[in-house]
Amino acid sequence: MLSVAFVGKGGAGKSALAGTFARLLARAAGPVLVIDSDPMPGLALSLGVPVTDAGIPDDATVERPEGEDGPRFKLRPGLSASEAVERYAAKGPDGVRLLQFGKLREHVGALMRSQHAFHQIREELPVDRWHLVGDLPGGTRQPFFGWTRFASTVLVVVEPSEKGILSARRLARLSEGEHPPDEILAVVNKARHDDDAARVESRTGLRVAATVPWDAAVADAERVGRAPVDAAPDSAAVQAVASLVDQLHSGERP
Amino acid sequence: MKIAVVGKGGSGKTTTSAVIARVLARQGATVVALDGDTNPNLGLSLGLGVEETERLVGMRQALDAEEGEHASDWDSLLDVFGSDGPDGVRFAVVSQIDNPDPGCPCCGLSPEQLLGNVDPADVTVVADLEAGIGTLTRLGDNAVDIVVVVVEPVPKSMEVGTRAAAVAVEKGIKRLVIVANRVRDPDDLDAINAAFPGQEIVVVPDDGAIVEADRRGVAPLDMAPEAPAVQALSALAEQLVPV
Repeated sequence: MLSVAFVGKGGAGKSALAGTFARLLARAAGPVLVIDSDPMPGLALSLGVPVTDAGIPDDATVERPEGEDGPRFKLRPGLSASEAVERYAAKGPDGVRLLQFGKLREHVGALMRSQHAFHQIREELPVDRWHLVGDLPGGTRQPFFGWTRFASTVLVVVEPSEKGILSARRLARLSEGEHPPDEILAVVNKARHDDDAARVESRTGLRVAATVPWDAAVADAERVGRAPVDAAPDSAAVQAVASLVDQLHSGERP
Repeated sequence: MKIAVVGKGGSGKTTTSAVIARVLARQGATVVALDGDTNPNLGLSLGLGVEETERLVGMRQALDAEEGEHASDWDSLLDVFGSDGPDGVRFAVVSQIDNPDPGCPCCGLSPEQLLGNVDPADVTVVADLEAGIGTLTRLGDNAVDIVVVVVEPVPKSMEVGTRAAAVAVEKGIKRLVIVANRVRDPDDLDAINAAFPGQEIVVVPDDGAIVEADRRGVAPLDMAPEAPAVQALSALAEQLVPV
């Protein structure tokens, strides 16, 4: 089973690519669980799942007894990570399921139960049941706090701008971290020039697994809040993601 | 005067911050630009180049690794961690680090605490905050005078933008400006107007010059000062602070 985390600078297109990737992977290879770690909205739209705010309900958790190590809240006794996914992950097209961290509202405290449960599920989920596709918050902070630990493949989404390349160079250092993934690859997004992939590769040191062209159809889909895979299935960008799915799923590396 | 710039990642916060900082400096203000993003790129948009941007970021990371020089107050923070950018803008990276020395004026303060603590006389501070609304929600009362919310006419961006605007209103920020960025047509503008009723909205058109400046890693103000988006942001800066 694949376990893939999408990371990158804010606005690079992580959610659009992760949502498209998850839908195409589900069609090609069976059950996909999408884990949305971003407290900001977005992934559900790109995935085509008609929910925007579905954390894990409070009654799925209990306060951890005093003296026991770990975060303040945990899944209630008897509720396994797999059962929690079956119950609380939203259902989307192509059979994808979406587990959400809980969206940031005014009061962060109200989310604490959902977020502790989310992290526990991510840690304890059996590795052979689902393909995992994760979408992280933008930037470099969370990836270095172990939020990609579930993933054997980390995909760094890079816009071929200097800001994008600097951000990707910072993320490439995940390989030196405490829990390095098996592989860290770059996905160039919104490419407009022939040399974009070569530039990203030489400047970041990451192998470019796919180059997704700048595509007005994807931009239009985002503007109306639709999943690119539904709004523009034949677009060059969606086709490029389909090739990436093939590549990772087949396990063949160029 | 303290100005904070917020919005979803990729909405154009950093470009907006850079143009505001430099145009205010050209008008004669003493400007300090602060990068409060943990993935800091403001140096590029100000025109300091890749190497200088990475040097300043590296100093911040050295603190995190418990190496490097600390600063004892606001002035020495700007001396130690700052760099002189174009138009005389003094620039420093102040993003939150993971291993702060509690109480240390340079690294023990989060960007929101720093903004709350300093109010240097006769200095205009332009702070590019972390993507999202986290820093804004933690800002103290009167920590900033103006909040600029940068928003694209895309649902994801407007969701973050409307939350940011609501927080700014709740905090009683004196002035809230919505920058409607990458506006292509009247429909885009209608979407923004509907999402931010009654707010001060500045329209910045979709402009390939900004994309090209980002690609090259140079300041839009240097590469394409006449480009429509740069003109719109310059006009915003000019009326933001009374000369």
